[in-house]
Amino acid sequence: MADENTRGRPLAGGTDLMVQWESGVLDMPERAVSVKHLPELRNIEEADGEIVIGASVTHMGIRRSPLTQKYLPSLVDAAATIGGFQIQTMGTIGGSVANASPAGDLAPSLMITDGTVVVASVRGEREVPVTKFWTGYRQIDLQPDELIVRFRLPKMPEGYREVWRKLGPRQAQAISKVMGSCRGHVADGVVKSFRVAIGSIAPTCVRLYDVEKWVEGKKLDEAVLAEAEQRTSDGINPIADIRSTAEYRKWVTGRMVRGFLEQLAGL
Amino acid sequence: MPVKELGALHSVGKGIARIDADEKVRGKAQYADDLHVPGAWYGYVVRSPVSHGRLSGLRMDSDFDWSQVVVVTPEDIPGNNIVDMMGRDMPFIAHAEIQYLGEPVALVAAPTRHLACVAGSHIHPDIEEFPPLLTLQEMVAQYKEDPSKLHELSAQTIRKGDADKAVNEADIVMEREYSAGHQEQLYIEPQGMVAVPESDGTMFVHGSMQCPYYINPELCETLDIPPEKLRVKQSAVGGAFGGKEEFPTLLAGYCALLALKAKRPVKIIYDRNQDILFSTKRHPSWSRYRVGLNKDGTIQGIRCEFLLDGGAYTTLSPVVMYRGILHSAMGYRCDNVSIDGHVYRTNTFPNGAFRGFGAPQALWAWESMIDELAEACGMTPHEFRLKNCLHEGDATPTGGLLRDSVGSPEVLEKTLERCNFGEKFKQCSHGRRGEKKWYGIGLSFFAHGSGFTGDGEARIKAKAALDLEPGDNGKPVVNVRISSTEMGQGTCTIMPQVVADAMSIDVRHAYYPMPDTFKVPDSGPTVASRTAMVVGSTVFGAGRKMKADLEAFASEALFEGQPVTLDQDRFRGSYGDKEMSFEEVAAEYLARKGPLRVYDQFQLPDFIKWNQNTFEGDAYPAYSWGCNVAELEVDTLTFEIKVTKVTAYYDIGRLLNPVLAKGQIEGGLVQALGYAMMEKIEVKDGKYDADRMQTYVIPTTLDIPEMDLHFVEYPWEHAQPGAKGVGEIPMDGLAPAIANALVQATGIRMRDLPITPERLFQMMQEEKTA
Repeated sequence: MADENTRGRPLAGGTDLMVQWESGVLDMPERAVSVKHLPELRNIEEADGEIVIGASVTHMGIRRSPLTQKYLPSLVDAAATIGGFQIQTMGTIGGSVANASPAGDLAPSLMITDGTVVVASVRGEREVPVTKFWTGYRQIDLQPDELIVRFRLPKMPEGYREVWRKLGPRQAQAISKVMGSCRGHVADGVVKSFRVAIGSIAPTCVRLYDVEKWVEGKKLDEAVLAEAEQRTSDGINPIADIRSTAEYRKWVTGRMVRGFLEQLAGL
Repeated sequence: MPVKELGALHSVGKGIARIDADEKVRGKAQYADDLHVPGAWYGYVVRSPVSHGRLSGLRMDSDFDWSQVVVVTPEDIPGNNIVDMMGRDMPFIAHAEIQYLGEPVALVAAPTRHLACVAGSHIHPDIEEFPPLLTLQEMVAQYKEDPSKLHELSAQTIRKGDADKAVNEADIVMEREYSAGHQEQLYIEPQGMVAVPESDGTMFVHGSMQCPYYINPELCETLDIPPEKLRVKQSAVGGAFGGKEEFPTLLAGYCALLALKAKRPVKIIYDRNQDILFSTKRHPSWSRYRVGLNKDGTIQGIRCEFLLDGGAYTTLSPVVMYRGILHSAMGYRCDNVSIDGHVYRTNTFPNGAFRGFGAPQALWAWESMIDELAEACGMTPHEFRLKNCLHEGDATPTGGLLRDSVGSPEVLEKTLERCNFGEKFKQCSHGRRGEKKWYGIGLSFFAHGSGFTGDGEARIKAKAALDLEPGDNGKPVVNVRISSTEMGQGTCTIMPQVVADAMSIDVRHAYYPMPDTFKVPDSGPTVASRTAMVVGSTVFGAGRKMKADLEAFASEALFEGQPVTLDQDRFRGSYGDKEMSFEEVAAEYLARKGPLRVYDQFQLPDFIKWNQNTFEGDAYPAYSWGCNVAELEVDTLTFEIKVTKVTAYYDIGRLLNPVLAKGQIEGGLVQALGYAMMEKIEVKDGKYDADRMQTYVIPTTLDIPEMDLHFVEYPWEHAQPGAKGVGEIPMDGLAPAIANALVQATGIRMRDLPITPERLFQMMQEEKTA
């Protein structure tokens, strides 16, 4: 990896790369190096209030771990909507993040944890906030000699809830039109904490900081819900593509955020 | 009404396991790409990069080594450069006009697929570009402005009574327009074909197809060979749905032309992307109705225009349009009907056969219209249908008489009762504010003509043969020799069942080998919901003849002249105790006389009369009938629409194999669900936008609603075994049932397919601003 003459393209599950090579979207490299079976990349552990997930943990691994089930429930729900059984068994969290598709379904659930991506090279390790790791459309903060090795994701605190929602063109095997996650805490109808991230509406998955800030501390009545919905829609500028229209995405993102707040409040 | 009996049958009616299941499950079935053809080269089609223009020549890069490949241009075609379908307007290889993006301008064959592609990239067509007409929307806009500026590929009218007068004099007049887009067949196995030039001058075409006797004779004129020198054989087919009806002639032509010049076998297997981009799809359609009603809900007059986007060439679009107009006012009583059907050219790949063949487009519009009419006269959708639906003895829109085998109104009544429609209809949400889910229930009722449209069956005169010959295990077998193909729908299982009952033998003695035009007579194409009814009855007739032949042989050779009967696998004389098994007698026959072949030919009952010019009379020998009820929920947060349950009754005549029949209905309903709610393919810059399985979305298991499916049997009374059509009718009714349910859930009427959350959102917005 360190030597650019012998360097191979790191390959985890290959569920994105092999499709892109086959369809000609990406040129097939001369060498690919599978990192899927490196044991140190395949663990899910608990450490210092965080869940640490190795880069080669598969979507199925995320679904089945008691740690993620308990502390990162929206990540589990998101992993369950990626592809089918075969894709979930091969595809990995590191590969999904590196692929940097704006429709990457794991991204929102990672973003709402305010966790970090740990990347490594012969120069050592470096930590990047998940929210800063995607720098543009299919761009990531990773040097050619670096490898994503693990994710450090703060646990969902006691009393908090997470919600995942995906809108796709069908119930399974679907690429998202819009999807998102939230982590929050609502007590007596008042929003104590709210973090929300949405994918498929911008070149990268995005945190809706303005809406989060605006809604925190407010009592969730119809007027607040309606304004949160409106502020969300007003604050984004999604595109039209083969899966959906810009107008629907703009509207339905607001609806999703309203739905998140309603669910946190048990409405 | 009692179900009329045609006599007891033993094998027909049983849900025996598919005879081809074992080889398919074990991966032994040989699909086109599995065929081992020594020395075969790979073919590649060089295509026009523009949608419309004039081709002035081809430039071939001089720095490429052309000696390693073979290139075919129009000059290399031995016969006429014409695809001999209904219109003779399409060339195999473009020589002057370019009518669609992807039209072939040259063919290349090479030892490897890669080299064939590379060579193709060194051939450049010089094309002067003209403005294209690309979409249904543009076509309809032009039709409304000035239809004479469109290029008409086909037109047909239906006239009964005086529709204009009746509409104008009616209490209520309603005018509506509906449209539907392309649909891709998306069979599992993409198109594939091999052509092998034999040393005796025969061209052997082997591959994935529905209709071997389309390729022969269609290719003969191009290859300039007589029909007896063109052998066509079907390989295992992984789904077709009409997509392998007429298209394989093109692929067979490319392979055969290359094979002739290369003097070696040539194979073309499309990958999914090529298959979606460059093969046929369901015709986009537009219907406009003007219907007059009396206040009591009687339909006074129906005026309808039915337009199909034909794509670039005629192919078989006229018949698709015929089936469309024949179903555009079907199902209900009305004495004054006027229908105008048109197919116009657009500059896209020619649209073609797809399960339902014009009827799903027509019924999408008509069954939506019926709900709108019911509302206009203050009736519920079910009351209105029960009042107006056709009964035995009534006349169709072409004046055909519904003599017998009429499952209406029973399928309608039973479906309504089964799902408790009347009660549930009252519980619909109508877009009420403050609810998390909106509930709706909707109905459709329809007939589907069984057999070829119009004079088709009289013209085709389907033939079937049975061969008694030694099987692979040495034991005698009755081989069914028909050109009707197995493409997943069950032909290879139901035909042995039919033979077993015709001859009164065990079903294990009968077998259906894959059709090969050197061995099978022309039973017509595997289309139009005709195989079970038309070819099945012809096979039955042949079975009766073979039974009589074997009884006569047994009598003379084995039973000392006494009359002999073959019954349930045993030959018995009319006196004495002697008995012989079918296997023993058949083996004796083979040993003494050699193989036995018997033929039969389909005879359309002579009371079925049709005028192909005026479109008057019995458009079909019989109709299958169906009723669909869709229940759905709309998520008021996101406008996602989920069909939760489908209840349906069908009359498809006698059930040959109830398990396979139900499979046909289930699969067809899923395909109809995709057509209604998901499948969307648009032309962007001349090219289909959803050109992969990632972007062309069809339903998955999780999208399939609960299905409550039932049959009532009104057998076709004029020939055993009495089946009618089942292949297409499952595609016909679900889209309008869903649209009708959606109105009850939301208050919004969708008049364009597919129905998506995006469209619902857009229409809600429009309603708000209006």
